[in-house]
Amino acid sequence: MSAARPVVEVTSLSKRFGKVQAVGDVSFTLTENKIYGLLGRNGAGKTTLMQLLTGQEFASSGEIRVFGESPVENARVLERMAFIKESQRYPDDFKVKHVLRAAPLFFPEWDAAYAQSLVGDFRLPLDRRIKKLSRGQLSAVGVIVGLASRAPLTFFDEPYLGLDAVARQTFYDRLLEDYSEHPRTVVLSTHLIDEVSNLLEHVLVIDEGRIVIDQDAEQLRGTAATVVGTRTAVDAFVAHRKVLQREGIGGLASVTISGVTDADRAKATAAGLELAPVSLQQLVIQTTTQPTTTQPTTHETEEAVR
Amino acid sequence: MSATTADGVRPASLPSLRTPGTRILNVMRLHKTNPYTLLILPWIIMGGILAVNIAIWVIVNIAAGPKGMHSAEQGLQYSGAGFWPFVYFVVGAVQAINITFALALGYGMTRRDYYLGTAAFFVILAALFAVGMAILGVIEQATNGWFLGGHMFTAIYFGANWWTRLLVFFFGFLFCLFTGSGFASIWVRWKVTGLVIAFGTLAALIIAAIAVLTFTGTWPAVGGAVLDGGPLVFTAWLLIPAAISAITGFFILRRATPRS
Repeated sequence: MSAARPVVEVTSLSKRFGKVQAVGDVSFTLTENKIYGLLGRNGAGKTTLMQLLTGQEFASSGEIRVFGESPVENARVLERMAFIKESQRYPDDFKVKHVLRAAPLFFPEWDAAYAQSLVGDFRLPLDRRIKKLSRGQLSAVGVIVGLASRAPLTFFDEPYLGLDAVARQTFYDRLLEDYSEHPRTVVLSTHLIDEVSNLLEHVLVIDEGRIVIDQDAEQLRGTAATVVGTRTAVDAFVAHRKVLQREGIGGLASVTISGVTDADRAKATAAGLELAPVSLQQLVIQTTTQPTTTQPTTHETEEAVR
Repeated sequence: MSATTADGVRPASLPSLRTPGTRILNVMRLHKTNPYTLLILPWIIMGGILAVNIAIWVIVNIAAGPKGMHSAEQGLQYSGAGFWPFVYFVVGAVQAINITFALALGYGMTRRDYYLGTAAFFVILAALFAVGMAILGVIEQATNGWFLGGHMFTAIYFGANWWTRLLVFFFGFLFCLFTGSGFASIWVRWKVTGLVIAFGTLAALIIAAIAVLTFTGTWPAVGGAVLDGGPLVFTAWLLIPAAISAITGFFILRRATPRS
């Protein structure tokens, strides 16, 4: 067993807004010094979940422990966290330099020199009003604060909106560099799954307020595969397995399944089937494209994927 | 998942990285990160209004002539120009809370520390402007109304001497800032719905009070108490609704969530 300490422990967490179940009976653990991907579609509950973890929203039921304590109105927990969200509002009269002057008040580990160098990397105009920034520049402000805060638990909620490809790559590079020098727990919520797929060590996929995948990224990529071959051979192979996606033309079939072991691979090859790797993005799309139901039945999916 | 077992690695209690005092002080520093809106702009506007008033006093002096100036000076005591900073700070308090609350919570401040720091900042703000306006009042008096017999900081409603005016200004600013913070909390937590209900309730309470005073025939007594007491007693009474608003605001904000 690894010595990794749990940083976040969530038990049966639910959050309702009126009749809408934003987060439904969610349980998971995040351990120290790992980069997590929190993936899911729009409205799946990613932001709500992070707002609950950072004490900004109040849970309807269930328990949250961050650094072993409830985060709600708990200064000792909150001062160890940074939550960078796309929708962060700033005072109307703030310029970029005011944000960088205010941030150290809240983040004890703030590194001002590092923040300055990031401002250069992202070519951010310090004297411009926040209101006048472009979408991408606004995202860069968030990214800089998130990185320079060096908070032991850092959340990035869709931090890349409006950032061009170069700036996004800069973000990923800086994140990895700084993470290796100053290990901490990072939770990255994103749509651009393939772009960050190499960064992520662990993946949480949320769909309709429920965690449908909670798995090591490497393992996840390794155990899902697309089986291609004649329909009869493919059907025989995938019988009694959780099928993520099925396509077929004439007598040929292509079926994506999870939980593929080495023995399965040997068996497939022997049956004359081809096994193709599945990208993380494909996997997430296939586990979260079930049509919306009023009462989510994703529980079965959850069990099967595990 | 198995790491949650009691293997003794989890500390019994998380150590504090900063003292509560530091955190509250940091909220105060957040409010003055960009000092322009609350600390600089009001003085600029004040200077502008004084300039306009001086221009008017010059006109009055020329029009009234040396003989008419005595009676004109009687009228100049009733200047309303000194009232605007109070209105400004009701709005300023609402805006400051509305917009820094989301940032402070986004950056990991507790609602409690945020409110206490904001309240402390408002008290200092009230003191700064009260002292500033009282000093301007002293200058106004010493120069016989900027050499023109004018009154802006020594208007008759503010009191007869410098220390009365200092306290009247201070209490007045406290009232405005904390009324503002009460309504700001309602806005941050419940948005338009909250404000509509709050104003509706307030209107109903005022009408009820008017009804009680009218039917019991106590208007003269109340009016007398306010007028006889003078500005100092009147503004001191305002501290009661200010305190109610401040305390209510605290409890309202403690369950508020930052929404965009």
